[in-house]
Amino acid sequence: MEKDILVRMQEDLERALTKPAENRRWVMLLDTRKCTSCKACSVACASENKLPPNLWYRPVFEREDGKYPKPTRTALPKPCMQCDNPPCVTACPVKGADGATWKETRGIGTGVVPVNYAKCIGCAKCVPACPYSARTMDNGRFHTEGTPQLMKYETMPSFEYGRNWPRQGKHQPVGNVRKCHFCMHRLANGMLPQCVTSCVCRMGYFGDANDPESLLAQVIKANQTKIQILKKEKGTKPRVYYLGNINLEVFHGYF
Amino acid sequence: MAISSDSNQEKQLPGTNDQRKVSRRDFLKTSTLAGCGALAASQLDFARGIIARVEAGEITSFEAYQLMQAENTLYTVCLNCNTGCGIKVKIMDGVAVKVDGNPYNPWTLHPHIPMKEAVAKAAKIDGAICPKGQAGHQGAYDPYRIRQVLKRAGKRGEGKWRSIPFDQAVDEIVNGGLLFADIPGEEKRRVAGLKELYVLKDPKIYEEMGSDVAKIRKKKMTVAEFKTRHAANLHLLIDPDHPDFGPRNNQFVYWWGRKKGGRADFAKRFTEQFATVNTHGHTTVCQGSLYFACKAMSEQYAGESFRDGQKFYWQPDTENSEYILFVGSNLFDANYGPPNRSPRLTQRLVDGKVKITVLDPRFSKLAAKANRWVPVRPGTDAAFAMGMTRWILEQKKFDAKYLENANKAAAAADRESTWSNGAWLVKLDKEGKPGAFLRASELGLKARELRKDKEGNDFDFEYLVAFKEGKPVPFDPNDEKEAVEGELLVSTELKDKEGKPVRVKSGLQVMLDTAREKSIAEYAAICGIDPKVIEETAREFTSYGKKAAVDVHRGPAQHTNGFYNIASLMNLNLLVGNFDWTGGMIAASTYNTDGTKTEKQPFNFKKITPKAPKAFGLSIIRHDAKYEESTIFEPAGYPAKRNWWPLSSDVYQEILPSMADAYPYPVKVVFSYMGAPSYSLPAGQTMIEALVNLERIPLYFASDITIGTTTMYADYLFPDLHYLERWEMQGSHPNMPVKVQPVRQPVIASPNEVVTVYGEQQPISYETLWLALAEKLGLKGFGAHGFAEGQPLTRPDDFYVRMVANVATDGKEPVPDADPLEVESFLNARRHLPKNVFDQERWQRIAGPNWKKVIYLLNRGGRFDTQENSYKGDQVANKYGKLINLYQEKTYKVKDAFTGKNYFGLARYVPIADTLDRAPVELSRGYDLHLITQRDILMTKSRTISHQYLTSLMPENAIIINSVDARRLGLKEGDKVKVVSATNPAGVWDLKNGTSKPMVGKVKVTETIRPGVITFTLGHGHWATGAADVIIDGSLIKGDPRRAGGVHANAAMWIDPHLKNTCMIDKVGGSVSFYDTKVKLLKV
Repeated sequence: MEKDILVRMQEDLERALTKPAENRRWVMLLDTRKCTSCKACSVACASENKLPPNLWYRPVFEREDGKYPKPTRTALPKPCMQCDNPPCVTACPVKGADGATWKETRGIGTGVVPVNYAKCIGCAKCVPACPYSARTMDNGRFHTEGTPQLMKYETMPSFEYGRNWPRQGKHQPVGNVRKCHFCMHRLANGMLPQCVTSCVCRMGYFGDANDPESLLAQVIKANQTKIQILKKEKGTKPRVYYLGNINLEVFHGYF
Repeated sequence: MAISSDSNQEKQLPGTNDQRKVSRRDFLKTSTLAGCGALAASQLDFARGIIARVEAGEITSFEAYQLMQAENTLYTVCLNCNTGCGIKVKIMDGVAVKVDGNPYNPWTLHPHIPMKEAVAKAAKIDGAICPKGQAGHQGAYDPYRIRQVLKRAGKRGEGKWRSIPFDQAVDEIVNGGLLFADIPGEEKRRVAGLKELYVLKDPKIYEEMGSDVAKIRKKKMTVAEFKTRHAANLHLLIDPDHPDFGPRNNQFVYWWGRKKGGRADFAKRFTEQFATVNTHGHTTVCQGSLYFACKAMSEQYAGESFRDGQKFYWQPDTENSEYILFVGSNLFDANYGPPNRSPRLTQRLVDGKVKITVLDPRFSKLAAKANRWVPVRPGTDAAFAMGMTRWILEQKKFDAKYLENANKAAAAADRESTWSNGAWLVKLDKEGKPGAFLRASELGLKARELRKDKEGNDFDFEYLVAFKEGKPVPFDPNDEKEAVEGELLVSTELKDKEGKPVRVKSGLQVMLDTAREKSIAEYAAICGIDPKVIEETAREFTSYGKKAAVDVHRGPAQHTNGFYNIASLMNLNLLVGNFDWTGGMIAASTYNTDGTKTEKQPFNFKKITPKAPKAFGLSIIRHDAKYEESTIFEPAGYPAKRNWWPLSSDVYQEILPSMADAYPYPVKVVFSYMGAPSYSLPAGQTMIEALVNLERIPLYFASDITIGTTTMYADYLFPDLHYLERWEMQGSHPNMPVKVQPVRQPVIASPNEVVTVYGEQQPISYETLWLALAEKLGLKGFGAHGFAEGQPLTRPDDFYVRMVANVATDGKEPVPDADPLEVESFLNARRHLPKNVFDQERWQRIAGPNWKKVIYLLNRGGRFDTQENSYKGDQVANKYGKLINLYQEKTYKVKDAFTGKNYFGLARYVPIADTLDRAPVELSRGYDLHLITQRDILMTKSRTISHQYLTSLMPENAIIINSVDARRLGLKEGDKVKVVSATNPAGVWDLKNGTSKPMVGKVKVTETIRPGVITFTLGHGHWATGAADVIIDGSLIKGDPRRAGGVHANAAMWIDPHLKNTCMIDKVGGSVSFYDTKVKLLKV
């Protein structure tokens, strides 16, 4: 029988890593027709990136429409769009590829909009600039605060962008902005972003859209006319595409 | 520290300061790629990015190491719900930092990777698990975990505790005495310890007394005769005037919540030596009637009667079904479970390769993706099923070929591995009501025979009868040679051997006549739906051959009519003959753990377990027993004081209330494991009432990882290990076609106090407690020679490593030996575990010659057959392969303990009723809303409230109500309401410790539920488990308010008006009534 799409996409990823970075185009496709609003992606991401309380790289929104006895339910997971035309980069005062945030054009993260915690000054100008509310300030809190003991699993450094980021001292996430980065550290290791790999109902697709052999590219091709883009009118050119049974613009007010 | 009160931040970890950049050579040396000459191209490619960065001097060895991860990964099994997905746990510096799915395990990857794939490759493939599993380590790292033994320092439930030495606690529980002299009011209260109950030990006396009690039951001996015969030992009985109560040993009651294989075997080793009959699980709070209805369907004909029914059920082969009717089953939030079932369904749904219809009062997540949602009234599932049955039988859309087969040989001729009793003749009584099956000897058609069983013992065999071409035909249902088929719709009169008339019907005829009790329109009216829907569903269901299935779960089971709801729905599967077929109904299959399966298994636990005495006597829940056969039947007669359970066991809601009633007898010592009946049961407040009764529950000790909603009432609380710290054999679920045995093994160290038992240092755990009690009592089968001379059972791994070796060697072929690279990987991955958890030398000694097989298996988190091996053409490989009862004679033969009437032997619609068969009219008067519950995938009942990833996504639950009802009651979104009912008009949880918790929740208005019905998700509204303040050793440990959010409305669920101290129940199947209560919402 056919491989699990998680395995197929991992093999696609492997193949993509043999290409020069500039020939790749990382894209994520989320088929909300399959999404069951389980939020495994939200929690997997939070756990992988050791996110503090109230900071989600990948929240899931849900809504019901229609009236009994014919209601509908739709869920929308929302990672960072990794826009090709990112308003957050425009808003950031610490400019450039060696600044605080930029559209990456080299290496494993080509196409991603990363944050360099060492350069971010915590001004928070990028936060309202993002139409998708994908960027959040790290408030330095802990989940086990206010209980008998803080726990190591969250006081240990987080591992993002290929390095460790402790939660004390300078040049680290606390006080700075954080966002989804398509799990660049996993891509470097030939592993899918956490949200895709933890998708119980397999609604998430990820890969190199420039590779016609990839599952991602094939799903895009098969559903060309149905692809939806969130807040398309903003001209941000997201790298995250959606499929759905309804027009997903009903979610636009949620973020 | 019993619970840590250190609120200082953790110091920065060593290792992060290692700034030495690593060279390519260094890197390859320390990674799992080291020593592996011929690398698969993909593995090299995976590493390419890392190596490049190492060469560029970009990353330190710590970082590179993290990325490679293979040696930081341990495989085990989640237990944040009973689905038990295989997980891989990533460890950094001894801390579990990430949990993902185990790709070798078919729960999290579909198809899973075969076991022969290298461990290094599997390390890079993460399977998908649900959010509870992803958050699992937060349960292990719960700051409110207890680490030492606590003894209550105040009244039961008061929340005052003292940490005491483990040995002292064990000593007190075994020896009893004035244990609570320091507590006001209990100065003179002497309690019996286990030693005082462990009185009957002689297997010979057990045998003799036990068999004489059996004679008393069959009225072949009187109590007076018994007392004469056993005069010397009457003092060992609970009550010599009632020998059927059994010995005083039975006054030790042990019950449990979520316990799986391995731990079950460990406990049995103790309880069987101690010889108490009182060991009870929780089945009826989950889906008891589902289990026991299927048990009734699986009873096999053995000689003269039915027995050997299995406590299990069937579910569809989800990945191949083309049509599924889901009834009260929601695999996107719960069931068993989302990770394994969703991938087998979601894409196929989108592609139109499977059609589903969902019967549920709620528009669940599953209903939201269904082709049809049928919003039935709660508890009316049998009406829908009988309507479908009527249509299918009248339209002749059933699989006649399947149903005509009366025995195994006929089935085999049709390539069927199962057969039903639809064609068997059933006798009717004077009123035309169906009774037992006709025996051929009654007609003088074929005489009873004397046969020999496998062990060479004699037994009587009675032939059954089918009808063919106008004549009765005798047959043996298990006959493999002579095929017998019978006509399906038979209603006739025969002559018995004395010439008297015998009215008979075929099983299927009884089914048709039962279905005809109502018209389809009447059934639809009961359900509150359009009759067309019943017909259309029946038509659809019978249009896919054997690739159509009915999937049922708690929804139809947890009602007072649960047994018959389930039976009527399961019977639909019989009508299309889909059992054991691809796309049809399948059952679980597992690799054997106790070594009794094949000769090649090294540790046959039967042989290394000392023969235990045969425990006898009524259990405190009166399971496997008929009221009429007991010594308390007369003079009491009907109605019995409480229900008796010949067809069920593990009747959770009976344990505590029966003890409170001392019915049938008083008990002395109670032990609970991983259970929270006060929270999980409907009317759970009745459990609290029982728990604080010092007279009826004189001594209560418990095993738990926190002070929970039930264990807060214990006298002694022993810490246990979290599932990431321990062993277990998880087993499987009916929807899994692959043969498996997922193995839970320790992946992190425990924070529990280390104690010495049998001279061995080990952290306090459930097993440590059993071992210590065994040591103190001198129980056989434990200690330095527990397994055999020189073969100790002194710590958990003695037990479980043996089981792993058994799993590894079961089947046609054992697993291969781990190669040297794997052995190295295995050892390195455990370098963070202390010796009292993992000791290579010790494990190797235990495993013996199978050590490398044990390693191979543990490196993969269990044993899993391949996807290919799970199917054989158009059938599943792991077949159920036996008779399935459409008509249930054994059920018919049981008399209702309250009315003395026989149960009905066939599925039918039965309305909701209390134990005296009264409709709850008075209870419903003035209460206009029908309360049900549901799961959300984020929560289970008791264990998830401590997981902050989950509670931050769902800080509280809500009272979910249709907009029509909200408008009618003047309720808006977010309004606070109190849930009240006739049996809880105050709408509170009386915690019996001077405090109470009102059942107040916020309203959520929705279109996704049938008007008139309201629901809430389980898992919130806690009053313990870190939610409440407690005092330990005089210090106040403040609770975490995040754990107290939301509402838990179980206390509003009806108390049975006759029993008065437990919820409403299904008398036949045992299920508790979760979904039958009528409530009111009062604005707060």
